[in-house]
Amino acid sequence: MKRQYFKHYLLAIGGLLILTVSACKKYLDLTPPSAFDERYVFSTVPNATSAVLGAYDRLAGLQAYGSRLSLIYPYDNDEMVGVLNTTAPDNSSRDLSRYNVQSTNAQLTLPFEQLYAGIERANICIKNIPGMALYQNGSEEEKKQLKRLHGEALTLRAQFYFELIRNWGDIPAPFEPSIDQPDLFLPRTDRDTIYNRLINDLELASSLVPWRTEVVSDERITKGAVKALRAKLAMFRAGYSLRRSPKMMEQRADSLKFYKIARDECFDLMQRRDQHTLNPSFKAVFKDGIASYKIDPFGEVLFEVAMQRETDSNIGYYDGPRFYVPGNTALLGNGQTRIIPTYFYDFDSLDVRRDVTAAPYYNSPEYYKTVQPLLNMTSGKFRSDWISPRLSSATQATGLNWPLIRFSDVLLMFAEADNALNKNPTPDAIAALKEVRKRGFGGNESLIGTIPTTHDAFHTAIVNERYFEFGGEGIRKYDLIRWNLLGKKITEVRAKLTKMRLRQAPYNNLPQYMYYKPSSTEVIWSHSLYKPTPSPAPTGFTRVNWIIALTDTWVNNVAQMFQPNHSELFPLPQSVLDTNPKLK
Amino acid sequence: MVAKAQTRIQGKVLGKESGKPLIGASINLKGSNVGTQTDKDGSYSLNLPLSSANKILVVKYVGFIPQEILVTGQTTINFYLVEESLQLSEVVAIGYATVERKDLTGSVSSINEKQLKDIPVNSAAEALTGRLAGVQVTTSEGAPGADVKITIRGGGSITQSNEPLYIIDGIQVEDGLTGLSPQDIASVDVLKDASATSIYGARGANGVVIITTKGGKEMKTQVNYNNILGVKSLANKLEVMSPYDFVIRQYERSRGLSNTETAFENTYGTWDKLDQYKSTPAIDWQEKTFGNHAFMQTHNVSIVGGTKLTTYNLSLTSNNEDGIMLNSGFDRKLVNFKFDHRVSNALRVGFNVRYTKQNVLGAGTSDAGSTTYNMLRHTIKYRPFNIGNLAEDEIDESYYEDTNTGNAIGIINPVALSNAQYRNRETKITNLNAYLNYTFNKNFSFRSTAGINYNMQNTQIFEDGITSRARTLGARLPMVGVIDNDRDNLNISNVLTYNLKGSQSHKLDVILGNEFYTIKNKSQEIQLKNFPAGITADKALGQLNLGTLLTTPVLYPLTFQSETRSVSFFQRTNYSYKGKYLATFSLRADASSRFADDKRWGYFPSGSLAWRISQEDFMKNIPLISDMKLRLSYGSSGNDRINDYLFQNTFSASARYGLNEQLVPGFVVTDLANKNLIWETTISRNIGLDVSILKERIQLTVDAYHNKVNDLLINVPIPSTSGYVTQLQNVGNTSNKGFEFQLNAVPIKNKNFTWNANFNIAFNRNKIEKLSERQNSYLQNSGFGISGQPADYIVKVGQPVGTMYGYVSDGFYTTNDFNYDAATSRYTLKSGVADVSGAIGIAQPGWMKLKDLDGNNVIDDNDKTIIGNANPKFSGGLNQQFAYKNFDLSIFVNFVYGNDVYNANKIEFTNAYSSYSNALNMVTNRWKTIDQNGQLIQRVVTVGGQQFVEGAPPSVLSEINKNASMWIPISGTGAWYPTSWAIEDGSFLRINNITLGYTLPSVLTNKFKINRLRIYGTVNNLAVFTNYSGYDPEVNARRSVPVTPGVDYSAYPRSKTFVFGFNLSL
Repeated sequence: MKRQYFKHYLLAIGGLLILTVSACKKYLDLTPPSAFDERYVFSTVPNATSAVLGAYDRLAGLQAYGSRLSLIYPYDNDEMVGVLNTTAPDNSSRDLSRYNVQSTNAQLTLPFEQLYAGIERANICIKNIPGMALYQNGSEEEKKQLKRLHGEALTLRAQFYFELIRNWGDIPAPFEPSIDQPDLFLPRTDRDTIYNRLINDLELASSLVPWRTEVVSDERITKGAVKALRAKLAMFRAGYSLRRSPKMMEQRADSLKFYKIARDECFDLMQRRDQHTLNPSFKAVFKDGIASYKIDPFGEVLFEVAMQRETDSNIGYYDGPRFYVPGNTALLGNGQTRIIPTYFYDFDSLDVRRDVTAAPYYNSPEYYKTVQPLLNMTSGKFRSDWISPRLSSATQATGLNWPLIRFSDVLLMFAEADNALNKNPTPDAIAALKEVRKRGFGGNESLIGTIPTTHDAFHTAIVNERYFEFGGEGIRKYDLIRWNLLGKKITEVRAKLTKMRLRQAPYNNLPQYMYYKPSSTEVIWSHSLYKPTPSPAPTGFTRVNWIIALTDTWVNNVAQMFQPNHSELFPLPQSVLDTNPKLK
Repeated sequence: MVAKAQTRIQGKVLGKESGKPLIGASINLKGSNVGTQTDKDGSYSLNLPLSSANKILVVKYVGFIPQEILVTGQTTINFYLVEESLQLSEVVAIGYATVERKDLTGSVSSINEKQLKDIPVNSAAEALTGRLAGVQVTTSEGAPGADVKITIRGGGSITQSNEPLYIIDGIQVEDGLTGLSPQDIASVDVLKDASATSIYGARGANGVVIITTKGGKEMKTQVNYNNILGVKSLANKLEVMSPYDFVIRQYERSRGLSNTETAFENTYGTWDKLDQYKSTPAIDWQEKTFGNHAFMQTHNVSIVGGTKLTTYNLSLTSNNEDGIMLNSGFDRKLVNFKFDHRVSNALRVGFNVRYTKQNVLGAGTSDAGSTTYNMLRHTIKYRPFNIGNLAEDEIDESYYEDTNTGNAIGIINPVALSNAQYRNRETKITNLNAYLNYTFNKNFSFRSTAGINYNMQNTQIFEDGITSRARTLGARLPMVGVIDNDRDNLNISNVLTYNLKGSQSHKLDVILGNEFYTIKNKSQEIQLKNFPAGITADKALGQLNLGTLLTTPVLYPLTFQSETRSVSFFQRTNYSYKGKYLATFSLRADASSRFADDKRWGYFPSGSLAWRISQEDFMKNIPLISDMKLRLSYGSSGNDRINDYLFQNTFSASARYGLNEQLVPGFVVTDLANKNLIWETTISRNIGLDVSILKERIQLTVDAYHNKVNDLLINVPIPSTSGYVTQLQNVGNTSNKGFEFQLNAVPIKNKNFTWNANFNIAFNRNKIEKLSERQNSYLQNSGFGISGQPADYIVKVGQPVGTMYGYVSDGFYTTNDFNYDAATSRYTLKSGVADVSGAIGIAQPGWMKLKDLDGNNVIDDNDKTIIGNANPKFSGGLNQQFAYKNFDLSIFVNFVYGNDVYNANKIEFTNAYSSYSNALNMVTNRWKTIDQNGQLIQRVVTVGGQQFVEGAPPSVLSEINKNASMWIPISGTGAWYPTSWAIEDGSFLRINNITLGYTLPSVLTNKFKINRLRIYGTVNNLAVFTNYSGYDPEVNARRSVPVTPGVDYSAYPRSKTFVFGFNLSL
C-alpha cells in the first residue's frame, strides 16, 4: 500500500520536474519594472521623445554648458580671463586659463565623458527612431513628431561632436550605439571626416524639423538651430585648426566649399525674419530673456541649452558679479571671469554692449553696487542682480540657459563667409554687419562709423565686431583659433596692457582711481572713465583702484603659458589615454 | 493473578556528574503510553503491565542524553543521565538536513543556546561576535540598530556583497540577523567550506549561516520570563582643547590679515584680555550630546511545552533602549511561534511565525555623504564655551558664518542640531513558513518547506531649517524625506531523502531536491523642501503636501522595483563505511533570471572525504585520544547577488531636461549592459582535523583553507568614448587563505565546580590575484571629507581588499630644514629636503612633512604608497564559563590583531580647514607662530603671486617650539589628505561581557511553585585594551563600497552597559 503511494508520488514529482524545466525559460525571463527595454522605449512617440530628452540632458549640468564648457574652457582670450592664480600651478581651472594643460588636469575628464555620453544617447535614438513602425506607418502627426525627434538627435550629436572637435581635434568617432559596436577601442578619426559627415547629417536634419513658430515655444531644436549650427560647423571646417601631423595650425584647401555652405544656410535664415531676427535691445536678450527665464520673443537665440533653476548651471554665479540671497549673510558668487581692462576700453564709449558685457561691481543684499577695482570687473551678460525672480537659496545653481547661437552670429557668419567667397564684401554682407553694429549702438546708425569695403578690412571689421558682440559667451577663443589669431591677439593684449600700466598712449589719460556713489542700485561715477582722476576727491563718493591696480604679474598672467601650434587644443584626458592604448 | 498483572518499579533519576536529582524527567515504557515524571527529589515510581512484551524503560530529560534500560525483574532502577554537553553527539545543520557532528565531512562552526544564554544583549549579531572561528562580525558603530558586517573566511568579492546567505528555520531570508532576538536562537551553524556551502549553489560562496530557532518540547508547559535592565553610558571620550587653548589658537590663526584680526578682537577681545578664558568653564559638548545615561530594558516571555504529538513554543520579546545620544533610541517587538504536530506516524507538519517590528530613532552621527552632512564634527569642533547669554542648546548663527569656509560646513550647536533632526527608521519583518514531512517507509521520506518573508522598511526624516542640508538645498526651511523599501521573498523547497537502513558497515543518505526562490524589491523615496518655518516634525510628516519636491541631486519622487527568480535542483550523497571512512558528494544546478538566456544555468559540484582515524584498530590503544577525524574537501559555489537585469541594456528615467523651466524626465541607458555576465564562482579547498582528548574533555578543531574566487565581477574601465566609463565584466580573481582553530575544553568538572572554556582564533590572508586585462590597480575614494579630495584606498593586484593609500608622514619641518636670510627674514627650504608645497601648501618650519619616496625632493602623486591594511592578522575570542554550586560566572573576551584603522576623525579634528573651530587636545602642543606676547613670529606672505615664508630668526622659532609635538594645523584642501599619521593600529582586546549569576536554591523556589529563578548582573564592553586613539577600533564607517573598510569617520561612539536581570521558569 505504502509502496503504491510512493510510486505515485515519484511520478508526480517527476512530472512536476519536467513541467518546471520546460516552464523555466518563461519563469526566468523577466523585464525590469523600473526601467524600459529598447523595444518598449522606441514603440511610442512619447517614449521616443523621452529618449531624445535623455540626449538633450547631456548638454546641461556643470560638466557641460552649465559651467565647464561655457565658463571655463573658453578662457583666457583677448576679452576676458579666468581668475588669477594664487598658487600656481593647480592642474585645474586656473591651469586651463593659463594654457598650462596636462592630461591629468582635473577639468578635462568629466566634460569629455559627458559629451561622449551625449553622442551615445543620440546614436541610440538615431538608430532606433527611423526604424520604428510608426515612422513609416503612423498617423501624419506621429510621423511628423518622429521626424522631428530624428532631426533633433542628429543635431544634438553634431553639437556634441563639434564641442569635442574644437577642444580636442581628431577623436574617436562612434556613430553606432556601443552595444552594437564589435570593438569599443576606437582609434582617432580625422576631424574633417567627422565634420563632413555631421554637415551632411544636418542637411538631413533641417529637412526633418519644423520652424520655431510651428511648434510649442521652448528650448527644443527647431529648423533655425539646425541651419545655424550647420553654418557654424562649416565655418570651423573651413577655418584653421591645429593638425596632428605636422603639428601646425592649418586651413584645408577646400575651405571655400564650406564657406559656401555657411553662407547659404545663413542666407536662408536671413530670409525668414518671421522666425528669427535681432531683438531691438541688446540688453533685453540677456536681462529680459535669459536672466528672466524667458524665450526671446524675436527668436534671436536660435539654439540654447535649457537649464533648471536650483538644479543646473552656474552661469551668473561662477562668472558674474557677487551677490547675496535673502536670509543668507554670506556673499555669494565667484566672479571668476574677469574683464581684461583693454577689452573694456576697446569698446566705444557709446556702444551699449560695453555695460552689458562688463559688470564692474559686487551687489549688496539691497542690490546696492559696490564698485570693484578695475581688475575685479566681471563678465556681465549673466549677472545675478538681473535674475528674476530673485534667487532664494544659497545654491550655486542659477538655472540660467546658455545661448549657443544668436541671430547676430548668423548675420556675422554670413558677412564673413560672403566676404571670403566673393573676395570682397557684397552689399548684403555690409548690410548684415551694419545691422549688428547698429543694434550695438542702440539703433543709432549715425554712431556706427563707416563699414570697410575691401576684403581684408572688412574681415578685420568682422573680427572686431564679433569681439564686441559676443564677449563672455564662450565664442571668442574658438573664433580666434579658426582665424589663427589666438597667439597674435594674446601678444597684442599684453602689449596694450603694458602701455596701459605705463600710462602710454592711447591710455595716457585714463584715471588711476575711480569714484562711485555708494548705496545706489546703479553704478554712478563721479567723473568720466576716460579722463584722469579729479583732484580733490569728490565728496559723497567712494574711491576704488583703477588703472593703478595693473601690475606686471597681472599682465603676464593673461594666457601665460600659451604656445602657438600647441595650446590650441587640449590633450586627451589621462584616463582616456590609459584605457585605450590606440590613442597613445 | 490480577494483583500480579503489574510490576511496580521505583527509583531515582540523577545527573551522572553532579549526582543531583533531575526534577521532571520523563520515564516511559518504550512503545506504550505508560509513563511518569520524577518529583522534586528526582524520584519516580511506575507500574508496568506484566503483559507487555517489550520491557524497556526510556528516560528523557532536557539537556541530557536519553537512556534506555531493559527491565529484567529489578524493582529499583536508578538512572544516571549524562549531560549532552559533549559536542560529538551534537546535531549540525548542513542545509536541507542535519548530521551528527561525528559524521560531518565539511567545515562547520556552531554555537548553541547554552553558550549564548549568558549574554544579555539585544542583537543577535553582537551575540555572535568573536565566538566562531573564521566568522568576523564587525559592528559599524555604536548606534542602536547599527549595521553589522559578517564576513566568513575573509570574503572574496570586491564589487559585490560579501554577506553570507542566511537560512532561518529552513527558509532563505535577505534580512540577516535583524529580525531575530538572541533569546530565540537555539543554534547557529555556519557553513564555511564549499563542500558544505555548495548545496546552496549560486548563493553559497560567502558562507551560509543556518539558524534554528527554539522549538517546543515534549514536556509540561513551562513559562519562562527573562528580564534585562541596564544602563548604557559613553565608553570613551575624545579630549578637546580647553577654552583658553582654543582662544589662543584662534588668536594665532587670525594673525596677519587686518580684517581677521579685527574680527577676532571683536568677538574674543585683545591679547591682554585673553587670560580671562583661563577661568571660562568649558562646555563638554560630548557630554551634552552623548552623555545620556541611557536606560535599556528587555522582557522576554516564552511558553514552551508539548505532548508526544504536538509541541510548541511561543516567545514574545520587547527591547527598549535609549541611545546615549540625544533624541535617539531603539525599540523592538518580536514574536516567535513554532508549532510541530504529528498527524500520523508518517506525516509531520509544522508551522512557524516570526514577526518583528523595530524602530530606530535618531539621526545618528554618520552619513554616507561627505563632511557637510556628518554630525560628529559639530560636537567635537564647536567652540568649548558660549559667548553672550546663549543657552546651551541655542543656535549661534554668527558662529556658523565664522566657521563656514565654503561647502556649507559651518559648525552648528550640536544640541540644537540634534533637536532639529528627527529620524525614525521602522522595519517590520513578517516571516511565515510551514513544512510537511512524509515518511513513506524506513528508507524514504519527503519534506516540503515553504516560506514567505516580508520586509518593510519605512524611514521618516525631518530636518529643521538650521541643518547643513536645509542650508544648502532647502532655502533654510524645514525638509522632509520619506523612504520606503519593501522586499518580499518566496522560498519553496522539496527534498526527497533516502536512508539506507539495516547494514552494519554501510551507511548511505541521499537527498534529492529542488527549490524556487523569488525576491521582489520595491522602493520609493520622496524628498521635500520649503515647509513652513517652525513646523514640527510630526506635522510636516503628516502633511507632505505643504512641501515642494526636491529636484537635486535627482528628481523626486524616486521609485524602483525589481524582481529575481531562480530555480534550482540539487542532490547530496553521504556515505560512510564502518563509521571510519566518510564521503560526501553534492551537486547543485541553479538558473537565475539575473543572467541572459544562454548564461543562466550554473553547476556547483563538491566532494569531501573524512577519515575517522580513531576508529582504526591501531588507535584503540591510545586512550588519550577519544576521537580523531581528518577531513578533506573541494568544491565550488557562487555569488549571484548582483543587481537585476544587468545583462540587457535598459532605459531608466534618470535624465532630465529643464524645458521652459519644467524638468522633464528623459530615458537613458546609464550602464552599458554585458550580455555575457555570469556569477562569481568560489573554488574552495579545505583540510581539517577534529581531535577529542580525555574522553572529550578537550576538543580541538583545526582547519586550513584556500579559497579562490573566479569570474570576479569588476567594473572594468572601458574607453569613455563609448559613452560609458565602466562595464561590469567577469574578469577578476581574489584568494583567501587561512587557518582556524577552535578549542573547547572542560578543565574542571566535579560535583560543585565546573569550568568550561571555548577558544577560537582565525588567521586569514586576502589577496587580489587579478583585476582585468588592462588594469592592475585602481584607486577608490572612501568619500569622507570634502569634495575633490584624493582617493585613499587602492585596489591592487597582490594586495588585499582594504588597502589604504596615501602619503607617508614624516613629522614636521624644523628650522634646521631651512636656510634663513636675515636681511629679508625669509625661510627657504634647504636643497635636498623634500618639498611638500605642491601637495599640502608651502613648506615652512612646523609644517607637516611627508616622505619623499621617489627621491626627487618634490612631494607629488608619485610619493603616495600603501599606508595601511584593514585586514586583521588574526582574530578570535575566549569564553569561559564557571559554575560553583548555585553561582555561575562567565567572562568573554574577543580580540582582533594586526589591522589598521583609518582615523579620519583625527584628520578633520586637527586641521584648520574651518576657522574658529575647536580641535583635539593634541593641537594645543602644536608648532606655534606667535610668541608668548602674542606677537606673530612666522607667516606666509604672497608677493607678486608667489608665496614666501617670513619669520623671526631660527633660534627664536626653535626656542618657542622646542616642546612642540604636532605640526601647524593644515588649511586648504591639503588639510584632508590621507597620510600614514592617520593610520593607526586597530588591534584590540575587548572584555566584551562579564556575567555573574546566582540560581536560587530549588528548595526555596519550589515553595513558590517556581521551577528556577536566576538573578544576574552583567557588564557589556567593560574595557577595551588598544593603542587606538579614537573612540573605538571596531569601526567601519564608509560602507557604500566594500573596498574601503576600517574608516573611522563620524561614527557613533560606543557605550558600555551595566545590566541586571533575572531568568524565571514557572
